Amino acid sequence: MPTTKLTRRNFLQGCSSAIAAMAGARLTNVAFAQQDSPTDTLVVVFLRGGWDALNVVPPMEGDDRGFYETARPNIKISDLLPLSDQFGMHPALAPLHGLYQQGRMAVIHAVGLNYDTRSHFDAQEFIELGTPGLKNTTSGWITRHLQRNGVSSILPALSTSGAPSSLLNFVPTVNLNDPADFSQWDNGLVVSQQTALRQMYSGDTLLHRAGLRTLDSLGIVSPLVEQEYQPSNGASYNDDELSQQLKTVARMIKLDAGLRVATVDYGGWDTHEYETDGNGGYIADQLGNLAAGLSNFYLDLDSGYTDRLSVVVISEFGRRLVQNEDYGTDHGHGSVMFTLGGGVNGGQVYGAWPGLHNDQLYDHADLAITTDYRQVMSELLTRRLGNTDIGTVFPGYAPSGELGIFRPI
Amino acid sequence: MTQLRSRLDRRDFLKLMGTFAGVSAALAACAPEQIPLPDPTQVPSIVENPTGVPPEPVLPPVPLGIIALNRMGYGPRPGDYEGFNALGSTDDERLRVYVAQQLNPDSIDDSDFETRYNAAGFETLHKTQDELYADHIANNPYDSNDDTYWQWYSKPAHELVDATFLRAVYSRKQLVEVLADFWHNHFNVYFWQDDGVPMLVSYNRDVLRKHMLGNFRQMLEAVATHPSMLYYLNQNNSSDAGPNENFARELFELHTLGAENYLGVRDPNTVQKDANGLAIGYVDNDVYESARAFTGWRVDDDIYEYEDGIEKTGRFIYYKPWHDRFNKLILGKYIPADQTDMQDGRDVLDLLANHPGTARFISRKLARRFIADEPPDSVLQAAASVFMEYRDAPDQLKRVVETILLSPEFKQAWGQKIKRPTEAAISMMRALNVDFTQLPGGIPWMCSMMGQPMFEKRSPDGYADVKEAWANSMSLLYRWNFAVGISENWMDDDEQKRIIRTDILGQTLPEVRTAESLADFWIPRILNRTMSDTDRQAVIAVMAQEYGTQEQLPEDHVAWVLPAMVEVILMSPDFQWK
Repeated sequence: MPTTKLTRRNFLQGCSSAIAAMAGARLTNVAFAQQDSPTDTLVVVFLRGGWDALNVVPPMEGDDRGFYETARPNIKISDLLPLSDQFGMHPALAPLHGLYQQGRMAVIHAVGLNYDTRSHFDAQEFIELGTPGLKNTTSGWITRHLQRNGVSSILPALSTSGAPSSLLNFVPTVNLNDPADFSQWDNGLVVSQQTALRQMYSGDTLLHRAGLRTLDSLGIVSPLVEQEYQPSNGASYNDDELSQQLKTVARMIKLDAGLRVATVDYGGWDTHEYETDGNGGYIADQLGNLAAGLSNFYLDLDSGYTDRLSVVVISEFGRRLVQNEDYGTDHGHGSVMFTLGGGVNGGQVYGAWPGLHNDQLYDHADLAITTDYRQVMSELLTRRLGNTDIGTVFPGYAPSGELGIFRPI
Repeated sequence: MTQLRSRLDRRDFLKLMGTFAGVSAALAACAPEQIPLPDPTQVPSIVENPTGVPPEPVLPPVPLGIIALNRMGYGPRPGDYEGFNALGSTDDERLRVYVAQQLNPDSIDDSDFETRYNAAGFETLHKTQDELYADHIANNPYDSNDDTYWQWYSKPAHELVDATFLRAVYSRKQLVEVLADFWHNHFNVYFWQDDGVPMLVSYNRDVLRKHMLGNFRQMLEAVATHPSMLYYLNQNNSSDAGPNENFARELFELHTLGAENYLGVRDPNTVQKDANGLAIGYVDNDVYESARAFTGWRVDDDIYEYEDGIEKTGRFIYYKPWHDRFNKLILGKYIPADQTDMQDGRDVLDLLANHPGTARFISRKLARRFIADEPPDSVLQAAASVFMEYRDAPDQLKRVVETILLSPEFKQAWGQKIKRPTEAAISMMRALNVDFTQLPGGIPWMCSMMGQPMFEKRSPDGYADVKEAWANSMSLLYRWNFAVGISENWMDDDEQKRIIRTDILGQTLPEVRTAESLADFWIPRILNRTMSDTDRQAVIAVMAQEYGTQEQLPEDHVAWVLPAMVEVILMSPDFQWK
């Protein structure tokens, strides 16, 4: 059967009937989310390693520009792309600047995990579990959100990079980097093997449920394996790990299989040495990949999907104001976040700016935090994801007021 | 397709397999048009109750030999189960004898494994700690701009991975292998941690394997003074001028007291003390004070190439110029200023190794490994008492492990754990009696696809030992794919130098040739027990395909389909429990 000629509609029918068939009587209640899904699909891009917020969105003017240049004689960034009177963007982020100017992207500065740690491990874990200071939490913040809202689709959550703590204990998660890897090896008898597996994994243990989940996922993903993906609007994805993951997410969103959340990781931000070479160098390459990946992802999905799309870009912390002896920066505190999507009140830099004078720094060393990352997520949950139960998602936390980063849905 | 396969190299094959599977699935997706589409207007969710995780059903009990071989080792090879049952006339007696053998590994004849190990031709694993550092770090003969430099640098650690698989599959000292894996994860060091990759061989042999049936306090100091750990948790850069809390924090949180005894950020004076005046748990202040106590514990590696009194031996050194000489207060114990060399750090290790909280935490983790994800309190209390009672004994840890393995809880629990990915892969190789000497790269690669590349857990907590971490779609899918790859003999290296062979047909009696009899031959051969009738019928159906279940099958059908039937047994839930 020439599956490459299947239309999406045909595919969806074939796929759901196949799943129904494989499941027999037990799994006839398969629903694809309707296209007019009432809430956004959330895409969380986690930049592992602690990105250098002060070189991503440096101050452009005033005393703080002076403090910044003094602290970073060898690694300061110039020729910024203006975001406001006060701040500009690293020039390597140029592909995102258009989205910012069109109001589809917002920047939140001096934001982060308001907890005293400079450990990657702790900070990432706290952020993803949503319980700063508590590592024994048995579910991630996204898990609790999805559980609170209920899940009605066949593909509610996708992780393109392992099993992130934000989705801890969310069994329906599909983990795959690339649909090309997500296929069952076949000696020519895989169909009969899957029939047997469906029988064997019809049970109530966690293992049984995960096995059925895997078979269902194969039903969704396998038909994509040999198909060449054609992004919309002339978007094109680079070969780096971030772009390839974003391409996978875009494909899964376009399946209209009810994807609610996708998590994407992009590492390599732990720039202890040789961070920049003028405006070029290592971090410019990283930011270039980020901007190319996100802008093409957005372009690809600007084919009817961005009105129900919220992308959040986050890292576990920022870096020290003062450069180190190796032309790098050490672990810091306050960071910067991006949000993208049709529901973003974009074109603005949010958050109170604490300043870069020594007395204004956290521990006299790092950018201070004036906005808890949970504030951003709470506004997202309330405004775009249909979940006002912040106390369940972030136990013990209540947002203070609202920055207005997102429009109500 | 079978004809085609023999002409393809593995890489082509891996590409094509995706295609074949995709086509099959797509066909499946479109074939059954007689099934009506679900009515989207009245469909509840397939995940009906995502908040309430249903309690795990209790599995039917299995014979003790199955429990012992799957939880004290990497699953039975052919004959192991019968061997266990021959150890005595009652379950208790068999278990006692088996545990005694496994806890005294020097008494076990392991010549088959040793023959293979010698034939594998490892070039670096015999090297001492000093030799590893000198040959592969200090005096690496290659140009650091060339790949050869990095190949030589990482060669010992790669050989360690290969040897660890070889041991796990073939060594009869199975408990040793399980414990070595347990302790590597407990005192986790990342394979690619900076600066000291070749030293992993020494860490595994001279620290973990040396002490894991010995004394915990001695093991703790061996860990704390080994370059692998000193590099991994940044202790190597920790000085009085710039103390690094990384090692000290994980020493409390992961290595000894555990997060279960962490009382958070609070005034240490408010922490309750036990009868000996020792704090019942730790607070952040204890971590910071301990970081000070360990300043100057580092590697003799002259990283700056100008330090006085520092050479390049790669050994542990106490570097007094970096030590914070002033007094400390840790867990309620006062540590005076200007103690003798290393005494501050040793005091911390003493406090932690002798703490009842540590006894409970270590016992809980061991019981989690050997019994259940959530082990009963009774067994960890028993083990913790032994841990405390024998805390100065040279065989303390052996006694703790023995307590757990001979406990009633060990015999009663079944199926409250699933094999982790690497365990599943190794147990498949054992069940099928595969033949390899030099490990093909595809084997560890498959473990990475399952999410558990050996020694490559980046964060210091080690790989999770609970089922929630591994019951996900990508991991399970590659567990299934591993069953296919190993049964179909698809795992050889491209250049065919490293090969792994499975002869399923050759292990099958020639007179067994109906679908039903082949299933009934292989199910107990792999599981040492029967399956539920419905699962057995599913296995038979795979074997029969278009033939009758009791019909004599043609030889070419058997040759083609039999591996697929065996794969289904390996993929079944029954094979994953332990």
